[in-house]
Amino acid sequence: MKITIEKSLDLPLSPALAWDMLQDIEGVAACLPGAKITEQLDETHYKGTVSVKLGPATVSFKGEIEIAGRDEAAGTLHIIGKGSDQGGTSGASLDLHASIIALPGGGARLSGVSDVTVTGKVATFGARLMNSVSEVLLQKFFTNLAARAEALRAAQPATAAEVSAPPAMAASTTASATMPAPMPAPAAETKLNALTLLWAIIKDFLANLFRRSKAT
Amino acid sequence: MNEISPDLGRLEKLEGIGCARKRREDPRFIQGRGTYVDDIHLPGMLFGVMVRSPYAHARIRAIDTARAKAMPGVHAVLTAEDLKPLKLHWMPTLAGDVQAVLADGKVCFQNQEVAFVVAEDRYIAADAAELVDVDYEELPAVVDPFRALEPDAPVIREDLAGKDVGAHGPRRHHNHIFNWQIGDRDRTDRAFANAAVTVKQDMLYPRVHPCPLETCGSVASYDPVKGDLTVWITSQAPHVVRTVVGLLSSIPESKIRIISPDIGGGFGNKVGVYPGYVTAIVASIVLGRPVKWIESRNENLTTTAFARDYWMTGELAADADGRIKGLRVNVTADHGAFDACADPTKWPAGMFHVCTGSYDIPTAHVSVDGVYTNKFPGGVAYRCSFRVTEAVYLVERMIDVLAQKLGIDKAEIRLRNFIAKEQFPYHTPLGLEYDSGDYAPALRRVMKAVDYDALRAEQAAKRADPNCPVLMGIGITTFTEIVGAGPSKNCDILGIGMFDSCEIRVHPDGSAIARMGTITQGQGHQTTYAQIIATEAGIPASVIHVEEGDTSTAPYGLGTYGSRSTPVAGAAVARASHKIREKARKIAAHLLEVSPDDLEFDLDQFRVKGDPSRAKGMKEIAWAAYNNVPEGMEMGLEAVDYYDPPNFTFPFGAYLAVVDITKATGEIKVRRFYALDDCGTRINPMIIEGQIHGGLTEGFAVAFGQELPYDEQGNVLGGTLMDYFVPTAVETPHWETDYTVTPSPHHPIGAKGVAESPHVGSIPCFSNAVVDAFAHLGVTHTGMPHNAYRTWKQLNALGVAG
Repeated sequence: MKITIEKSLDLPLSPALAWDMLQDIEGVAACLPGAKITEQLDETHYKGTVSVKLGPATVSFKGEIEIAGRDEAAGTLHIIGKGSDQGGTSGASLDLHASIIALPGGGARLSGVSDVTVTGKVATFGARLMNSVSEVLLQKFFTNLAARAEALRAAQPATAAEVSAPPAMAASTTASATMPAPMPAPAAETKLNALTLLWAIIKDFLANLFRRSKAT
Repeated sequence: MNEISPDLGRLEKLEGIGCARKRREDPRFIQGRGTYVDDIHLPGMLFGVMVRSPYAHARIRAIDTARAKAMPGVHAVLTAEDLKPLKLHWMPTLAGDVQAVLADGKVCFQNQEVAFVVAEDRYIAADAAELVDVDYEELPAVVDPFRALEPDAPVIREDLAGKDVGAHGPRRHHNHIFNWQIGDRDRTDRAFANAAVTVKQDMLYPRVHPCPLETCGSVASYDPVKGDLTVWITSQAPHVVRTVVGLLSSIPESKIRIISPDIGGGFGNKVGVYPGYVTAIVASIVLGRPVKWIESRNENLTTTAFARDYWMTGELAADADGRIKGLRVNVTADHGAFDACADPTKWPAGMFHVCTGSYDIPTAHVSVDGVYTNKFPGGVAYRCSFRVTEAVYLVERMIDVLAQKLGIDKAEIRLRNFIAKEQFPYHTPLGLEYDSGDYAPALRRVMKAVDYDALRAEQAAKRADPNCPVLMGIGITTFTEIVGAGPSKNCDILGIGMFDSCEIRVHPDGSAIARMGTITQGQGHQTTYAQIIATEAGIPASVIHVEEGDTSTAPYGLGTYGSRSTPVAGAAVARASHKIREKARKIAAHLLEVSPDDLEFDLDQFRVKGDPSRAKGMKEIAWAAYNNVPEGMEMGLEAVDYYDPPNFTFPFGAYLAVVDITKATGEIKVRRFYALDDCGTRINPMIIEGQIHGGLTEGFAVAFGQELPYDEQGNVLGGTLMDYFVPTAVETPHWETDYTVTPSPHHPIGAKGVAESPHVGSIPCFSNAVVDAFAHLGVTHTGMPHNAYRTWKQLNALGVAG
């Protein structure tokens, strides 16, 4: 099965700084719960692992990430990932187009469109949870990324990075899902608490339920 | 004084044909004492687990088994490379194709068998299976049979490159398997050109799975000293398995013993020979130890034998009064990655040509194209004869489409088109000869029982009321089934005619053992075969032991599927019983010192005509068979019969369903279901009723929930019981059953077979009821399964949601 995820996040950084932040692939990957870059093969190729619990199936993917396109002038990045789980029962691939645009207030907006395709056991047992789990994972990812950006901003000399706009974020997938204000997190949260995940899924399910009943 | 006639008392004591005899199988099942394949435990037994492909279509670049082999407790890891020297990496299918036992360089469907890990127990084997590293190169998957036939579609079967002719004639594309046509095309085209009215409807019969409670499995035990191979296996056709194993392994059939113990439901799923059986046998031969392989539920639902997946277009030509003048059908059949359909060799679409149904249609033409896709192989019948469910679905849906077009009542249009009783034996335009039928009285009886006119009046009133919270639908089917495959002139499997067999031995004390070529999987053979012998040979059913499923003791038979046990093996039982009876007559004549012609058979004894006081009972005759037979006669009292039926049998029925669809939610409630079945002579009414309840429930499952859809990547969705609907008592509606009796003229006791009719007949009945609920809104068809979500979407699309 394939799901397409579109997200955007406003960062309290200048576009140039935001771009720099994205170049630290290992640092960015660490913001995704369960993900880790294990090896850099060359300029554009990395090896990594991602562990996800999808209902009854826990899958630990290992695979390769390729920076398929990098255009600093346009502020766009194309990342392709491909992997299979350690038990050989599932496969997954990722095709991500990310871009950074300057905001009028001086900040930068990071937008991403990614196609995630899964096959095998994950699709069989986890299909019905895929959307909810990705939603939760991405929210965590963005929270962590925002914290990282905040830390980066704080570390900059005032003249270089000062932006007037307050840090504001908006998840564009659903109108109701606004991101929490970034906490001054000293370290990125990389472990996903099972209870948090469960609660998020239930919340998501209930929200969907009420949306649906309003539609009829 | 006992007022009951002594004859009636004796008949009841015999428990012969027509008695509601309690099932002999039940005491062991309800006490949990059945013996299934997974109950077999042998000393030194190992356990095998399959490594399966997560991809629907991929090239295998490498398989590394080193880590798995190094794990403590692992005895072997087999891949295609290990099977190649034995020429067992591919095996023949029942449809004249080949199937990879273990993937040979490429996988063509998700969960395809890639390697077989054998270990001390199932847990070690499952853990080790995860250590087998397979390097896949993913290829684009094709899950749509129409896409598969496009010129640029990926090549699924590279092993068939250059083969323009398959087992069933020319192939016109690299993913094409066959085109099969039957009927008079020109005459049918003319009928359509000249018709007052024509209708056309596309319909998909989705891919479903029989999903028996017990999954498939086997225990293979090779004795390296004797060279004997014994296999306990979940098989509906153990003798066929023996022949296939013999062909594959070059072990003589005399050294192979196949045992089907208790089977926890088959419904077609257990007809084929699957890679797991083959690898378990190879592993046992290689390791010299017994090897067990049992499928998980997910493996069962996604690898061993789906049913249907038929994309059908039906067309009817008729006059203005709704009298049908012609039927035209085009089918695209999705057979998956390997053509492993279980069909008679001659007919790659099975008995789909029974699609003219119960109606007197002057001309018809059918064309079926078989197509390869990246889906798992199979194409077995699911509680029906080969492709009969699809055929009946088509014609029963089409006649409703025609009725709606002409504004004729759906019962009335059937009455106008029925084959009349006087027309039997009836020759259909597609070459079948229906043995017997009496359709109109059956439908009228159902209409009267449910007060059809009142139901239609209620429906009209509800349609007129905009505040009514439900849409009411009435579905009718008047189906004809074809079962009892079959005459060896038309039907064979791997070249073996589809006869069946029975061997009866009467012991000196008058008790008997009957051994059969069939195998019960819930049908109650141990009960009903004994009833036939009781009536036909005068031996009380209570002292008859019926034994099946062991190829070393049973006579060769083609097994149990397609409702063939009663029409074929049941006939063999009757004929073997007659042979016993005729020998008994001669012995009785010898004992009574009269001519055999002076004797008449009376339930359980031979009486001298005109002198009823002089008689010899079967018990006495059996004793004499072992010490006092006429001069020149062989001792003993036994008989064998191999029965090759002259024709199929054609059970029929009239079903009516009433459904209420809640406008607000799309939920469908089956308010009433009335099923009248005619299966000819009824052997055990209680078992018939049980079989009909089971068939209706499985029909309900298919119509309202079962489906194995695929996504674009070739992931099979619905491969777990979270998604695949198996109804329980909670969901199942109340069934009302009824019957008429129209015996088969060519069957020794007039019986036709029954257990599949309710499945075949009920599914279109449910669909017809659902469509009927929407008929006044111009709807002519909605796809299965009719689940609440799909129905709710339709209600919204039509603007009638509550």
